[in-house]
Order: sequence, then structure tokens, then C-alpha cells
Amino acid sequence: MLILKLWNYIRGYVIIRIEGLALEKFINMCIARNIYLWDITRINYTTLEAKVGIRGFKAIRKLTRRAGCKVYISQKNGYPFWFSKMKKRKMLILGAFFSLTIVLILSSFILVIEVTGNQQVSKEEIVNALEESGLKIGVNKYFLNLREIENNLLINIQDLTWIGIELNGIHARIEVVEKIAPPPKLEKDVPCDVVAKKNGVIEKVIARSGDAVVEKGDIVSEGDLLITGIVEREAMENPLYLHAYGEVYARTYYEAHDTVELVKVRKEKTGERFTRRVIRIGDIELALSRGVNPYQVFILEKTSKKPIQWRNKGLPVEIITEEIYEAIEIEETVDIEQAKNQLHEMLVEKLLEEIPEEMEIFNSNSEYVIKNNILHGNVIIEVLEDIGEQKKLHIEED
Amino acid sequence: MKKNQEIKKSLAEILELPKDIVLDIPKITMVGNLQIYIENHKGIIEYTNNRIRISTKSGVLRILGKNLLLKNIVLEEIVIVGEIVQVEFTD
Repeated sequence: MLILKLWNYIRGYVIIRIEGLALEKFINMCIARNIYLWDITRINYTTLEAKVGIRGFKAIRKLTRRAGCKVYISQKNGYPFWFSKMKKRKMLILGAFFSLTIVLILSSFILVIEVTGNQQVSKEEIVNALEESGLKIGVNKYFLNLREIENNLLINIQDLTWIGIELNGIHARIEVVEKIAPPPKLEKDVPCDVVAKKNGVIEKVIARSGDAVVEKGDIVSEGDLLITGIVEREAMENPLYLHAYGEVYARTYYEAHDTVELVKVRKEKTGERFTRRVIRIGDIELALSRGVNPYQVFILEKTSKKPIQWRNKGLPVEIITEEIYEAIEIEETVDIEQAKNQLHEMLVEKLLEEIPEEMEIFNSNSEYVIKNNILHGNVIIEVLEDIGEQKKLHIEED
Repeated sequence: MKKNQEIKKSLAEILELPKDIVLDIPKITMVGNLQIYIENHKGIIEYTNNRIRISTKSGVLRILGKNLLLKNIVLEEIVIVGEIVQVEFTD
């Protein structure tokens, strides 16, 4: 029936009140003359209310005299009436049209530039480069060739590998991906040493070039010499400078420590509560209700309502409702085994984040101590790792 | 007239034609007690909120109920909605 209603709305109809004594006669006359009446209701003994189309209403007027009743219009409904009303208020339509065009025109300019993904390259640098390529605040977005700007930017800023520009209304969102510089590599003919980059216990030394200075079982700390590039032999007068390289596997230790409290204080609501309303305009807070928090131990629940919220930016007006519940503290002891497991899991997870993925895990060791109702956990994971790092030799010329 | 009617009735039975068309009598359809369709009526006699009387070829159809509303009224059909309590033919 929605379609019928819609059709009636488009055609336009009036709600009429018919007053008289022979109302049934009037309805019969309408039927006989093919005037479509619908939703006929009896208001009282002498009054009917009915809906009739515009054309039908004109025909009814002629009928009323013959049926001996009076017809009033109580409401006009539908598109034709709306249209004629609007015709009289041309300025309103003009204003609506203008505001729409202004919105459309203004929304075609870029007013906000957002840059994400940059860490090394500063935002100013990117914004400046964008400006040179034509993308700046106040420019019309329909005249921009984004692909060209992206290419220009990649050429201008060497440190970027990818750039994506997305226009979203008046926002220009620029996403960049920076180059990750490869680790500095020494040329094959530059003499160098291999030094330790981490503390550890040497497990295996494979010196492919140069002399190994450490053996299995040696404890080395960061920066210690592992394979030297200065090769001296008894038969030689001058030492030979080499580009030393090789793998040095050592056991390294990753350690993590954390604590868990065995006694937990839990707050439980007693059922008493106190409500406070605060209105915030900008930075000013105004209390709407009187009274201060009467409880010593309490749980605070805040809910805020903002009147108009649109794209995370609304009016700076906020109504905050603070529900303060009275609470009592309940001490609970945690099961030790459970706490240990939890702690262990937490620590291992923390460690695995630190340990590079391809490492071979030798063994792990965990220790737990309870002190003053606090569980201290310590987990050590031992891994086999290549700790060698090439370091250039500074040769003092004699 | 009465004889004519008899002939029509037997003819309708023999040929299995719908009686409401051949005999020009009303066809009444009800949807629960909420809605009633009357096809082939001869005009409305009385209309109030609790009582509607409609003239038909089979006599006067009286509908009693509460909050009766003439949803739709055309030459062939009347649709009444409301809480229908009683439907009867009277002479």
C-alpha cells in the first residue's frame, strides 16, 4: 500500500470535512459519479472526514448543494500543494540552491593535508615538496594529477619508496613509506676485524679469512675482537692486513623479569550510588548538580554525551554524567601455580619479541621467588646466534 | 422476476459460473475481524462508527463493530476496516 500512498502524495489530495444530515446519500452520489473517496471516518453524528483527490474535490463542490451538505478543507496534502507553496517562496529555493552550490564549490578545494607513515623524513619536507608539485592548501582538487604528483615527490625526496595520495573531501591524505637503508657493508678489499656485537659465550668460530682470537668457551662482551684482520707470522716482516670475515656463533642470553602481586584488591559495588552531572564547554566545567562525592572508596563511571557529532569533530560542548558507586575493598589471594604460569607466559612472550626469529633456542630457565606477597619471576632464554660484526681497521701508517 | 432469478441460478449451477457475477449478488471477503471487502454492492445506507448498513441484491448487509472506517469506496467495492463484531443480512 506504500505505492498507493506515494501515488496519492504525488497526485495531491485534500482531507475534507463534510457536514450535513444525509451523509450516506452524499457518499452514494460520490460513488455514482466516480469520485474516489478513501479513509472515510465518522467524526460525529453530522460530520464525516474523508480524503479525496484534487480533481475529485472540484467535482464534490458541485455535488454539495444537491446533497444538502457543506464541505470544508481541513488539510491539503501532497506534492502539488507543496510545489505551489514553494512557488510563493522563491527566495527560499534560491537560498537552498546557493548554499548547495557553495558547499559543492568549497568541498572541491583541499583545506587539510595529512601526512602519515613518515618517521625520518619531516612533514615539512613532504609538504614543501607537495607544494612544489602543485598540491597545497586551497588548490582545487579537480585540477590535480595525483599520479604525476606522486612521481614528482618520489623523485624529489630520495628517502621515500612509495607514496599514496588520497583525496577525501577536503582532506588530502598522504601516506608515505620510507626506504630502509641497507646495513653498511664494507668493500671486499677494505681491511677489517670481526668484533662482537653482543655479550655471549663462544660456541663455534669459523674464520673464513683472518685469524680467530677466541675459542669455544670464551666469554666475550660487546665490542671484543673475535677475528682479527691483522695477520702476523714469524716469517713475515710486516703484518698482513686482511678483510676478515667469518661466522662466530655464541650463546647469548635474553633475560626478562617481572612481578605479579599475589594479593589483589578488588572493589565491589555496594549498591549505593551518587550521580553528578557536569557540562563542559571548551575547557570550562560547570557542575549541574550539587554535592560532593560522599564515599571513601568508590568506583567512578563516566559517560559523556556530545550534542552534535560529525566526523569526530563536534561542538565543544559535552555533558558528562558521573556515576559514583560506593564500593568496598575485598582482598583476594591468587593461586600461586596459576600466577606462575601466567607470569611465565607473559615473560616468554616478551622475550620472543626481542629474539630475532631465525635463532635456535638452546634452553630456557625460569626462577620464581615469593617475597612480601609478590611473586618475582625471572626467565632466561639461551640462544645460538651469530654475533660477528665487521669493523674497519684503522691502520697506523708507519 | 422471481422466475428469472431461478433460471439464472440453475444456469449458473449447470455451467459452473461464479454465482456472484451471474446473479449480481455480493461477494463478501473477511480478513479475520479486521477487514471486510464487499464486492457488488448497491450503495451505502447508514454509516456510523459502530454500525454500517449496505444495500445489496441479497438484502441489507449490516456490519456491527467498533471504530469502523471506510477505507475505500468505489462503484463495485467497499473496504471496511476496524473491529468487526457481527455481519448479518436483514430485509
